[in-house]
Amino acid sequence: MKTSSPASPSKLFSHLYIEKSIFDHPKTEAIRTKFAASRVVLIDHYKEVFNRPNQSFSAQSQSKKLILAQRGGKFLHEGSQYSDGFDHQQFFYASSVMGCLYDCDYCYLQGLYPSANTVVFVNLEDAFAELLPHLHQDTLVATSYDTDTMAIESLTHQTQEWLLFAREHPRLHLEIRTKSANIKGLKHALPSERVTLAWTLSPQYIIDRYEHATPSLEKRLAAIREAISIGWKVRICIDPVIYTDTFDLIYPDLIDTIFSTVDPDSIEHLTLGSFRLSQSHLRSLKKLRRSDVAFYPYTVYNEMATYPETVESHILETLLAKATHYLPAQRIRTWQRQS
Amino acid sequence: MIYLITALDAEARPLCDRYKLKRSNALPYTLYTGENTVLLVSGMGKTNAAMAVSALLGWRLPSPGDILINMGICGAPVNYPIGDALLIHQIIDGDRHYYPDILYAHSLAETSLICVDIPQSSPQEYPVDMESAGIFQAASKFFKLHQIGFLKIVSDHCAPDTVTKEGVIRLIASHLDTLDYVSGLLTDVQTDHALFSQSEREEIDSFKSHFTKSQGDMLEDALCFARLKNSDFSLDLFPSSLPNSKRERGILLENLITRLTL
Ligand code: SF4
Repeated sequence: MKTSSPASPSKLFSHLYIEKSIFDHPKTEAIRTKFAASRVVLIDHYKEVFNRPNQSFSAQSQSKKLILAQRGGKFLHEGSQYSDGFDHQQFFYASSVMGCLYDCDYCYLQGLYPSANTVVFVNLEDAFAELLPHLHQDTLVATSYDTDTMAIESLTHQTQEWLLFAREHPRLHLEIRTKSANIKGLKHALPSERVTLAWTLSPQYIIDRYEHATPSLEKRLAAIREAISIGWKVRICIDPVIYTDTFDLIYPDLIDTIFSTVDPDSIEHLTLGSFRLSQSHLRSLKKLRRSDVAFYPYTVYNEMATYPETVESHILETLLAKATHYLPAQRIRTWQRQS
Repeated sequence: MIYLITALDAEARPLCDRYKLKRSNALPYTLYTGENTVLLVSGMGKTNAAMAVSALLGWRLPSPGDILINMGICGAPVNYPIGDALLIHQIIDGDRHYYPDILYAHSLAETSLICVDIPQSSPQEYPVDMESAGIFQAASKFFKLHQIGFLKIVSDHCAPDTVTKEGVIRLIASHLDTLDYVSGLLTDVQTDHALFSQSEREEIDSFKSHFTKSQGDMLEDALCFARLKNSDFSLDLFPSSLPNSKRERGILLENLITRLTL
């Protein structure tokens, strides 16, 4: 049997799978209008599509679909040991989107989810209702959990909604972690002391090799400069550091590049952390056989895979030595294994 | 390998002619085989279809690059012109819904399909067939969901009595290029290629047999690391002879893993 010429990759969100119960929800309608050329498939529940057995994460990554749904269960999850809660009394992640537009080889979502598709829960108002009883004390909410919310902001406007909600609640602090270069959504909101935009930066070599579909370093840096210039609090994260044979060259160089265009005094913190992943997620990553990141000979401690101690120390010492040229040690945070 | 499934002999006939398939007696079903294609006539109904497809795929296990396409006729509401080809993105079987992944851009009409138990004389919301749910259930045990396609040709507007054997042959024959088109698109999406060739796999397994299971796993990881990092990486670093002592073999393996993961 003869085959045709190679298929052009299917455009982003060629299919919208929409739960019947929220078909007429205003957010669903707005997204449908934006993707008017996409095929609409009505479904009963997002899990019918998202949780199907025998999906191929790598094949789906070439042609992601969008699933619009209503979250019935919890939106908020308590912070995990893999991340930094910045000493707030309470620390939650909000899960209003599942799956990410970007496609990083080291992403734990590949091990967590059976699908590379993206689920957007349109009932964000229920997340706010869930959060309200906690807001009598200082509470940090990370809004980019299981996704990069800024990457999909032009579609969902969820970040803008969070910013509006935070304005009304003085004990609520937000952390919006992103690799996006699109900050249009932030320009409509009033900058707040209680909101931190945390940008993950990597050397261009690492971006090209492991952070597929993400904006270039140059574009991310331009977005950071612009966000700072309009008054937003910014944290820079060189986390996860992916160790390669060129580490000694490319990562110190990254720090020089960052601070040659971003005033060190204008950022809150610099966060440094080497790659780490729960062992079970790493196992799933290996099964996909997509990237060498999954197969490095990590050491496993307390169910967490990290670089061997000598490599991890080398990473942190090298980066700390470089970063302290620009910032005092108190403004540099590091992630280190708990031994 | 392309696995083609039809329900009826009449649907199969144009495919046999086109791909020069020969009758095979390997299974208790009507089966045709060719160079890169097998064609199974499952018989009508979901249960028959599920059983036949399971038998086929159990007999000839699919490899990572293979695909399966169900091609056949369907009844449809009047807004679906007779003779149109439809690519199916949702199969509705009562409360159960199935979703083949369509991961390629294409120019065909797409629709949901209702899989029914008996021929339908009254119009439904979507086109109807009688096998797709059974085929999907069986095929999705063996294939990833993006390796399976459903191509249906509208034969009637819920008037099954008007469908003749000659009409079916004509309809399918008129869409053989469409089938080629779909199978080309499906084939091009396949991403799950083996990291090592058959001969490399044999060499790796033979080398691993000199070590414990956990040592072998570490070596396997290091080899995957090296191949994914550099697709030109070659396996010629295995020594031709190994030390007798366990301890020395362990040291040799450690050095090898270090070299592979540098
Ligand atoms: S940006 Fe974050 S969530 Fe998205 S793929 Fe990369 S690591 Fe995963």
